[in-house]
Amino acid sequence: MLDVRDLRKEYRGAIAVDGVSFAVPAGGSLAVVGESGSGKTTCARIVTGLEKATSGTVTLHGSVQMVFQDPYQSLDRRQTVRGCLAEVLAHHGRDRSRLGELLDLVGLDRRLGDALPRQLSGGQRQRVAIARALAAEPQLLVLDEAVAALDVSIQAQILNLLVDARAATGVAYLFITHDLSVVRHVCTDVVVMSRGRVVESGPVERVLHEPEHGYTRRLVASVPRPGWVPRRAVNRD
Amino acid sequence: MTLLQFDRLTVAVSGRPVLRRVTLDVAAGEAVGLVGESGSGKSMTVRSVMRLLPAGATVGGTVRFDGADVGALDAAGLRRMRSRDVAMVFQDPRAVVNPVRTVGDFLTEVLRDQGTGRSEATRRAAAALSEVGVGDAMRRLQQRPYELSGGLLQRVVIAAALLTGPRLILADEPTTALDTTTQEEVVAILAEQRRLRGTTLMFITHDLELAAAVCDRIAVMYAGEIVEILPAARLHSDARHPYTRALLGSRPGAVAPGERLRTVPGVPQSALTAPPGCVFADRCPHAEARCRDVRPVFTGSAACHLLEVL
Repeated sequence: MLDVRDLRKEYRGAIAVDGVSFAVPAGGSLAVVGESGSGKTTCARIVTGLEKATSGTVTLHGSVQMVFQDPYQSLDRRQTVRGCLAEVLAHHGRDRSRLGELLDLVGLDRRLGDALPRQLSGGQRQRVAIARALAAEPQLLVLDEAVAALDVSIQAQILNLLVDARAATGVAYLFITHDLSVVRHVCTDVVVMSRGRVVESGPVERVLHEPEHGYTRRLVASVPRPGWVPRRAVNRD
Repeated sequence: MTLLQFDRLTVAVSGRPVLRRVTLDVAAGEAVGLVGESGSGKSMTVRSVMRLLPAGATVGGTVRFDGADVGALDAAGLRRMRSRDVAMVFQDPRAVVNPVRTVGDFLTEVLRDQGTGRSEATRRAAAALSEVGVGDAMRRLQQRPYELSGGLLQRVVIAAALLTGPRLILADEPTTALDTTTQEEVVAILAEQRRLRGTTLMFITHDLELAAAVCDRIAVMYAGEIVEILPAARLHSDARHPYTRALLGSRPGAVAPGERLRTVPGVPQSALTAPPGCVFADRCPHAEARCRDVRPVFTGSAACHLLEVL
C-alpha cells in the first residue's frame, strides 16, 4: 500500500536520507527505528508530503494522516474536541454522526467533547490527535514518536488503543520511534536506520532477537532491562 | 553514615501542596533512584536540597546535608554547598551551559572562582573531559556549546559536576533527552566515577529499569509522596505497593508481544488533586473504603493499607 523506493534527501550538501527503501502492506505495521539524526523523521515527513525528496519515489495507494509527538503543539488551542473532529469530518465529506464513535474508539469520554486542549491531560490530548487522524479514515497512519512524551501508565493506555484501532479499522501504521520495547509491542516489521541509511530490516521478532548488523546489536544491547549493566563503548565521543 | 536526610519534608507553592512529608535517608556513597511519573514531586525533592524552589514556596520539615539544616544555611554556607559539596545535572545540558562562552570557560569558572590559576584550571578541565570519555579535550575546550551534540554536551556537564570533587551529585533525568546508546555511555560514566570517588548519587528518572541498573535503592514517588522504598536488586521480586507494581506492569516489555498491556486507569494525580486517604486510592485496583479516607502510614518499605493481603 505504501512503497518507498530509493529515497534521498539533501540539505545544502548534507545527506539526511540516503537510498532508503521500505514498504507497508495494507493493514500492516512497520516501525522505523534509529537515533536522533538517523533520518527517520525526514522519511516520515516525505511520506506525508511535508517535505520533498531530492530523489526517489513514494507510491501510496490511499490517504495518509500523521500523529506527532507533542499533541499540545498540533491541536488548535481555541478549538474544542468536538470542533476539531467535526472540521475534519466535514472536510472529508464524512457524516458528523461519526463523532461519537470516534471518541469511543479512542477511549475519550463523550462529555469531554466540549473541552479545550488546555483542559485535557497529555494522554487525553494524544487521544484527540489520534481521533482526528482517524476521522479522515486514512489507509495509513504515520506516528512520529507519538507515545514518547507520555508517562508510562498513560503510554500503555495509548499503545493498547493503537492496537485496538488497527484491529477495528484496518488502518496501517508507519511507526517512527527510538523505543524498541514499543516496536516489539505494536509492530510486525522493522527498519533500522543509522546515518541516513537502512542498516537492517525484517520481521520485528528476528531483527530484535537475532540482530545481524553491529549497529542494531548495539541498539538492542543499550535498552535497560533486568540484570542490565551499562557499559562504556571504546573509542567513542 | 547518613549524608543526606529528608525529614518529613513538605513543600507548597502558592499554597498548593507539591511534596507531602517526604522522609528518606541517603547514606554516604549510596545511589538512590527517585522514580515516578510527571508531577510526582521527584524534581522538587532534589531541588529542595539546593534550595532551588520556585518563588512563593513554603517549606515544612527539614533537609539535612552532612548534619546541617539546609534551610538554616546563610548565604556563604549555601554558596559553598552549591559550588563545592553538591553538584546538579539536569535533563537539558543546553539550558545549563552558557551558549556564547566556550566549553573551557564553563568548566574552569568554578575552579577560577575558588582561586585556581588559569593554566592549572585548564589542565584539570581537560583531564576531567578525558575522564568522561571526551576525546581531543584541548580542542573541545575551545569549542562553543552549539558545536557539540547533546550527548557530548551532557558529558561536559558531568565533567563540570565532577571537577570540584562534590560529595553528592543530584542528577535530574540526565539521560532522558539522549539516545539509548548515549544514555548507556552516560550512566556507565556516572557509575564508574561513583566507584572511583565514592560520590553519593540521587538519580531521578521515570524509567524503573534504568534506575535499577544505576542505583542501590529505589524510592517510588506518587502525588508528592514516597509510596515505596526498596533495594534496586529486588525491584521485580519485592515490589509491594500497587503503584510500583502498576508501573512495572505497564511497560511494553512487561508482557509478551501481542498481549494487552496492563494499564492503570485514570491519570497520574498531583499532590494537589490526590484523595485525602491513600494518594493512589482512586486508581488502585485493590482499593477499599479505608484507602480513600485514611492516610496509610509508611512502614519502612511502603505506604499501603493492604500490604498484608497483597
